[in-house]
Amino acid sequence: MFFRILKQSFFQGKKQKFLAILTILLSSSLITALLNTSIDIGDKMTAELKAYGANINVIPKSETLSLEIGGVDYNPLKGQIYLKEKDLFKVKDIFWRNNIVGFSPFLKKDVMFDNNSNQKVTIVGTYFDKNSPIPDEKDYRTGVIRLNSYWNVEGKWPKDDSNNALVGINLAQKLGIKIGDTIKLKHNNTKAQFKVSGILNSGEDKDDQIIASLGPVQKLLNLEGKLNLITVSALSVPEDDLSRKSRRNPDALDSLEYDSWYCTAYVSSIAYQIEENVPNAAVKPIWQVAAGEGAIIKKIQLLMMVVTIAALFASAMGISSLMSTTIMKRSKEIGLIKALGASSNEVYLLFLSEAIIIGIVGGLLGYVLGCFLSQLISYSIFSSFVSIKLVVLPVILSISVFISLLGSIIPSRMITKLLPIEVLYGRK
Amino acid sequence: MSDKKNVLKIKNLVKSFGDVKALDNINLEINEGEWVAIMGPSGSGKTTLINILSLMDDISEGEFTLAGDDASSLSEEEKVVFRREKIGLIFQQFHLIPYLSAVENVMLAQYYHSVTDEEEAKKVLTKVGLGHRLEHLPSQLSGGEQQRVCIARALINEPEVLLADEPTGNLDEENEKIVLSIFKDLHKEGKTIILITHNPELGKHADKVLMLKHGKVDKG
Ligand SMILES: Nc1ncnc2c1ncn2[C@@H]1O[C@H](COP(=O)(O)OP(=O)(O)O)[C@@H](O)[C@H]1O
Ligand SMILES: [Mg+2]
Repeated sequence: MFFRILKQSFFQGKKQKFLAILTILLSSSLITALLNTSIDIGDKMTAELKAYGANINVIPKSETLSLEIGGVDYNPLKGQIYLKEKDLFKVKDIFWRNNIVGFSPFLKKDVMFDNNSNQKVTIVGTYFDKNSPIPDEKDYRTGVIRLNSYWNVEGKWPKDDSNNALVGINLAQKLGIKIGDTIKLKHNNTKAQFKVSGILNSGEDKDDQIIASLGPVQKLLNLEGKLNLITVSALSVPEDDLSRKSRRNPDALDSLEYDSWYCTAYVSSIAYQIEENVPNAAVKPIWQVAAGEGAIIKKIQLLMMVVTIAALFASAMGISSLMSTTIMKRSKEIGLIKALGASSNEVYLLFLSEAIIIGIVGGLLGYVLGCFLSQLISYSIFSSFVSIKLVVLPVILSISVFISLLGSIIPSRMITKLLPIEVLYGRK
Repeated sequence: MSDKKNVLKIKNLVKSFGDVKALDNINLEINEGEWVAIMGPSGSGKTTLINILSLMDDISEGEFTLAGDDASSLSEEEKVVFRREKIGLIFQQFHLIPYLSAVENVMLAQYYHSVTDEEEAKKVLTKVGLGHRLEHLPSQLSGGEQQRVCIARALINEPEVLLADEPTGNLDEENEKIVLSIFKDLHKEGKTIILITHNPELGKHADKVLMLKHGKVDKG
């Protein structure tokens, strides 16, 4: 019988019901959208931030041997030990391979201008956008065009393995180098010529250097197959207590912590795995980037939480006023069933059940709308879609029912105060 | 007095709303199976009295005992239970729930009393002559039919006492007769009936008549 009453009574006051469902729908769709995006936002933000540079540097191990005396670096091997180009793929042959967005090899050295000026200049060889086969992807391409998308090139990017080069903007200005000029360089007894295809504005030390394809640079330096830096861009999860602990002292982790650290895509665990895998390599996370990402993501998630809670309360208040109207409109009915012997609690049950139905219906519709909304948000901010998460549905349904109940509790107090005689005889 | 069980007793009852004494020094004793008519002009306090008898309102002064218990000592919850178990209420304005059918309106009283039994609800509606109107909504019924749904609802839980506030006040003569005959039958069955009416015709069938005027018993 209860359900029979509920079924009939639910379709009373259609306008209030409609508005109540609409209220829930709006807030639950907003919350769905925020939840959907905020679950993904970590990955998306990280990917977005990756566009602003690599977050892991791989260098030859011996370079980390510090032999500084009075500020002067006496490491005798500095600049003498190299990574091998043929080991490059090993960077992406680790447990977290799918998190490695890309890598760029570098070989950097000072050479001389071949014009009797006796002027030194730094040349950097790298991949621009070169095929670099990796185990499960033979046609994998990587390089600075993809990774360092913040590099601004006036003119054209050089082709890999060509004798074209970029000249850093500061260097170009200092020496009056223009696009189309030819630069002659020599190193020991080797000579090479590079044609300037573009001027690079990177905001880094590269602005004072010449950037050319790796092959010709190796040849000039007589260092075929050698590298002295690999920058890696890896998707990572924000730092947390565990990763900070491992950073302070990796040996302090117990085996359980170690496993969980190793199997989480922290910058530090990815770096650790690269170091394990690439021979003779020392791997250093660039902490500023990693830490910054975590902080930004945390802040955005906090902001979303605040918005969610605000939406929650706003709609609970909306429900509250709609519920008051409903109770007022149906006061006669309430008075009657009280006169028939219903206790206030039994009347509550009826109205709270209606609130639950409103919550469920509004929540379901809100979830659907919210999924569209999250795609819209994600597409406009990140130019990619979020995956729709089914786990959000029960969360949204509970939140919606919670809002609806929360909004109904205060007006429900009016039910207790309603005396049958007052409403049945229209007296107050 | 007869050997019948005493249903309720009021002594020197006063009910005031602010300065207005709606009921002033009323004495009344009703025994099981009695038919009592409460009569009097409009505003004389009839509805006020029935609200007190149905435990929906409190008294200001005097005594009110229900089946031997002091009514004012009952808690709100106990009053609800008492009303649900012992009293059938019939309203002048019917007070049916507009979105429930005739049979559902009757079942509503069953639901808040104990358990619902649709067959039983249909039986009672048939008894008051509405066997052919079971699934109609109140708006699809005439005034007389609505009043009979209201009576059926009051009867469904087999209350000891029926309280009716001008049950024929809104009815034409023909429907009035139908309702009157229902009350006669109920009286024969031994129900205690307390009936407010303007109609002397209805008053004639009562065992006892309480005449009210300005809240006082009119002995004239
Ligand atoms: N809740 C109330 N507040 C104030 N005055 C009331 C209230 N209920 C009844 N009265 C007054 O009490 C008197 C009796 O009313 P009522 O019992 O409804 O009379 P009847 O039913 O005989 O027409 C009237 O003067 C009415 O105005
Ligand atoms: Mg009246």
